This record gives sequence, C-alpha cells and structure tokens, in this order.
Amino acid sequence: MISSFARYERQRLARCRLLDELLRRQLPAGGGWSHRGAQFGTEPTALALLALHSASIALKDGIAPLIAHQGAEGLWAAVGDGDGINFWATALAVNTLSILGTNPATYIESIRALVRLRPVEGSWLVSLKFRFLDRHVQFDPRKYGWPWVPDTVSWVAPTAMTLIALERAKSRGIVGGSELQRRLRLGTEMLIDRACPGGGWNAGNAVVYGVPLRPHIDTTAAALAALRPRYGLPIVRHSLRCLLRNSACPSPYSLAWMILAADAYKDGGMDISPAINSARDHLTSLVEDPRTIEDTSTIALAALALGSEPINNPFEVEG
Amino acid sequence: MLSTKSLRDRRKAGSRVAIIHQDSYGSRLDSRLVEGLRLFDLNLRGKTVLLKPNLVESIPGREVNTNPRLVGSAATAFLALGAKTVLVGEGPGHQRDTLLVLAETGLERELQERGIRFVDLNRDDLMKVALQTQFTGLEFLWLPRTVLASDFVVSMPKVKTHHWAGVTLSMKNLFGVVPGVVYGWPKNPLHWRGIDRSILDINAAVPPHFVIADGIVGMEGNGPLHGSPRNLGRIVLADDPVAADFVCMRLMGLNPLRVNYLAQAAEFLGNGTTDRIVQLGEPMLAPQEPFVVLPEFAHLRI
Repeated sequence: MISSFARYERQRLARCRLLDELLRRQLPAGGGWSHRGAQFGTEPTALALLALHSASIALKDGIAPLIAHQGAEGLWAAVGDGDGINFWATALAVNTLSILGTNPATYIESIRALVRLRPVEGSWLVSLKFRFLDRHVQFDPRKYGWPWVPDTVSWVAPTAMTLIALERAKSRGIVGGSELQRRLRLGTEMLIDRACPGGGWNAGNAVVYGVPLRPHIDTTAAALAALRPRYGLPIVRHSLRCLLRNSACPSPYSLAWMILAADAYKDGGMDISPAINSARDHLTSLVEDPRTIEDTSTIALAALALGSEPINNPFEVEG
Repeated sequence: MLSTKSLRDRRKAGSRVAIIHQDSYGSRLDSRLVEGLRLFDLNLRGKTVLLKPNLVESIPGREVNTNPRLVGSAATAFLALGAKTVLVGEGPGHQRDTLLVLAETGLERELQERGIRFVDLNRDDLMKVALQTQFTGLEFLWLPRTVLASDFVVSMPKVKTHHWAGVTLSMKNLFGVVPGVVYGWPKNPLHWRGIDRSILDINAAVPPHFVIADGIVGMEGNGPLHGSPRNLGRIVLADDPVAADFVCMRLMGLNPLRVNYLAQAAEFLGNGTTDRIVQLGEPMLAPQEPFVVLPEFAHLRI
C-alpha cells in the first residue's frame, strides 16, 4: 500500500515533469503548441494554457497565440495555418479564455456564433429525412447540439465542450437570453438522446442497424462533465458508474479525461474517491516519461488531472 | 454516377495481384509474406514505407481490425526487402483515443516488439493538398505530412462488408488518412459529400503504392463493426488498389462493378478488368458461399 504522502509526491513529481515538457514544447516565438509536430493546434494550445495556468505558471506571451489564430466571427480552426471552422476547437478556446480571465470582449463574438450555429439536422428537411426515411442510425434529430465542422450533424464531443463553454459564460454573466437557454436545452437533450443503451457515450451513434454500440471513455467523460447539472437523471448516474470502472485504462488521454469528469461529481453523493485515486496512481505510472508521449493534448490533460486536490478543473460546469 | 471521361487516365498498362493462401496468423506469416512480396520485385532500397492498417476499435469476439500480427509481419518483411524505415500510421474514424485502440487491439505490443514506430494520423502536422478530381466538390483536403512524405504507402485493409459503402477494402481504408482533428470523429464532411465520391477523391490525391489485404479472417454481414467472422484464408497483395479491391470482391463472391466507386475507379485510377491484371501466386477461386451482405447490398452478390 502506497502511503498518502508517497502517492501525493509521486503525482506531484509526475505533474512537474508534464509541465516542464509542455514548456519545452512551446512553439518558437510564443507560437502556441502543436499536436505532435511544428504546426499550431488550437486544442493543444488551449489545453496547455489551462494546464500551465492551473499551476500558476505565467507565460510571457500569455493568451496571445490563441488570440492570434482567432478567425472570422470569432471562430477557430483546428490547426493554425488552416482555414475552416471547427466548433470543438472554438468551444475549447472560449472555455480557456474565460477561465484565464480574458476580457470577454475578446470572445463574445465567438459565443454568439456558437449560439447561432445550427447543425444540418436543425433544418426541417434534414430532420424529416432522419425521422422518417433514414433510420439506420437511431437518434432524434429534433434534439441537436453542435457539429465538429459546418454543414454536418451534431456529435457528442463538440456538443459537450460547447455546453461547458456556454454554461461558464452564462454563469459569469457574459451572455444570456432565451436563445441561449434554448440552445443549452437542445444540446443537453441531444446528449441524453445519444447515450449508449448500456450507459456512456461514443462519438454519437448509440444504435446502428439495430446494434447498440460501445461507449468511449473520453467522450463519456466529456458528456458527463457537460451534464453535471443533470446529475439527477438515471442515465447520468449510470454512465458515471460505468466511467468509474475504467481506472485501469491503458491510455493516458482517456484516463485523464475520466479523472477530470469524475472530479466534477465529487460533491454529487456517490463515493468516487477510490476510483479517482486509483486512476491518478495509474496515470502517474503511464506518464512517467512525458517525452515519450507524442500528443501534446494528452500531456496537458494529464497535468490537469494530476493537479493537487481539489483539482482546478476547467471542465467543471459552473452555476 | 459522375463522369470520369475528363479525368487523366492514371491506369498502368498492367497491374499485378497475388493471392496467398494462409489459414492463420501463426508463425509462418512472416516468411509467407516475404515470399509473396518477392513476387513483385519491389525496389524499396532506402525508402520510407508507411503501412496503413484498418483500425476502428476493439470489440471482443469481432474481427474488426487488420490483424496486428499481419501488420507486424509486413513491417518486418519490408525491412527485410531493403526499406530504410517502416512506419505504421492510422487515424481511426470513431474513437478519438488512437493510442487506446492501439493498446486494445494488441498492435501497440506487436510494434514495440518489432521496434516499429506508430504515427497517429488524426493528429499529425498537416498539409493542404489541392484535389485533382472533383467528385466531392471539395477543392482540397488537409492530409498528414507523414503520408505525403512517405515514399511507399501500403494500404492494409481488413476484408469486410460495410453497412454504408457495401465493402471496405484498400480504397475505403484510405479514409483513415484524413485527419480527425480537422474533419472530426467521425469524418462527417466526407459522409455528407458522399462516401463513394470521397473515396475517389482521397485515392486520387494519395494513391497507395501497394496493398496487403487481410483476408485470412474477414467480416461478413453487418460490417464494419458487428458482422460475423468469415474464414477466407487469403492474403491479397497488389501493386494497384483498384485491382486489389476487384480481386478481393471476387474472392468474397461479390461483383465489384456494382460498387459505384470501384466501377468509376476502374475507368481512370486503376485496373479492374482481368486482361489488365496479371495474377501472381495462387489462382483465384471464388468462395462456394458469397459473403453475407445486408439486404441493401444484395445486388452486390454475383
């Protein structure tokens, strides 16, 4: 049995190594972070900024790399010198700027664009198609969230991240109104509708050709984080119990997501501490040498998940 | 169907396909693969080879993914044939955690034991590639630098039926080079542009140089995830993905000309007719029972 102090110290040292690695990977001239190479990525940059902020590490360039890659209508692409819009990347960037205390004027247009956005099933014609003609994938198109990119249907991960970002903006008084409320409600209903029959979430196809598909750990975690205000729902509590069974997951990316999502439920009445402690121990082992982890987002998420408790959790919905 | 008449004809004068009998993923796999590859007299000296298997996710009891042993054997075989470097790369379409898929399928351990590096194509550095064909209407695709920088790309599909595309073989397998970080999980813009059309645009943009199709145990019925295993006992090697997919379909007892993208690909991208395919290795024998397909694809059966 590892003593509490030894466990804490191992996790602290692992986190220090992760943060050092993040600093080492910063692109030249304060250019943010890349997924695994030399190209700016919105996700790794947002997550790295959150991880460093959680450890009170100040950067000379601060949020500049994220702001520098903000595009038209305040939206972000997935990779910096890429064009195109990515709503997962945008929601992550907005959530990050909000947590970092950036002036809301910087991202209010982004929030308005997220609220305005309709996935393709938001059109009545496409909705009718999915309700009556194309039923191979079972879902209710009247309940829609956010897509990854324009002109496609909504999926679990971008919907969850957008709900988290919008709830935070709402709770801080940055945005409000009936349309926001409607989109928050629809997005929440969409997540509940897309839950796998056995609990949890995958990309967003719960039943295809009559066959229930398996949930994925990271999307289950993201959806649960977004649905924290709905803890009273049986599907949420059941999915949380399913998620907590994954503390031996062999991948640090999923494991870090699991810890962060579960942490958001620490005051929910279910005893989640044993699963989180076990997952943190396992994650500590998996990230022993961060230089061997190619994906920068994984390093940042692991640094967040191994934060000293109470975790400074950027995916905990405020309100 | 879109016309392919205005497209530059990229078909070789002749393509080569070898069918290798192999009942299991057992110990003789490495040597069988080297023997098979030697039939093609490939010049790999000093080249970087990228193996692109089909990894979707691990489902116990289902033959979903290209078998890790076959991927490992292929890596070893290409190194034995003179390749400077062999990489394995994939960008799964549903599961965002690529390394979890890698671990759960057993490919991580297989590659570690053989000292082969894996690249997550969903999160690689990207380059904007102008499309030379316009089936989807997209002007360009973002594609992984690792794929574009490789000298020799090998598509390694699992021989499976597919509930949207009919079959998933070497050409459909190229969906996995399109990066999820830009296009999402799943790569939904390609679905909305049409799976058949997307397969054609991707394969015209980054045509694989070679195919090693895992037909030792394939999948029939409700593929690509929940179909039933089907012992085909064959590995198909080819220097032309269109020819490979035509031969695989015939081995499945299905008619390749009834798959839109294959029929179109055979008009400009590769060879589908038997007079332009040289058969190496063993003769082709169609199965006594064709692969089971969903009712929507009953027309594929010969």
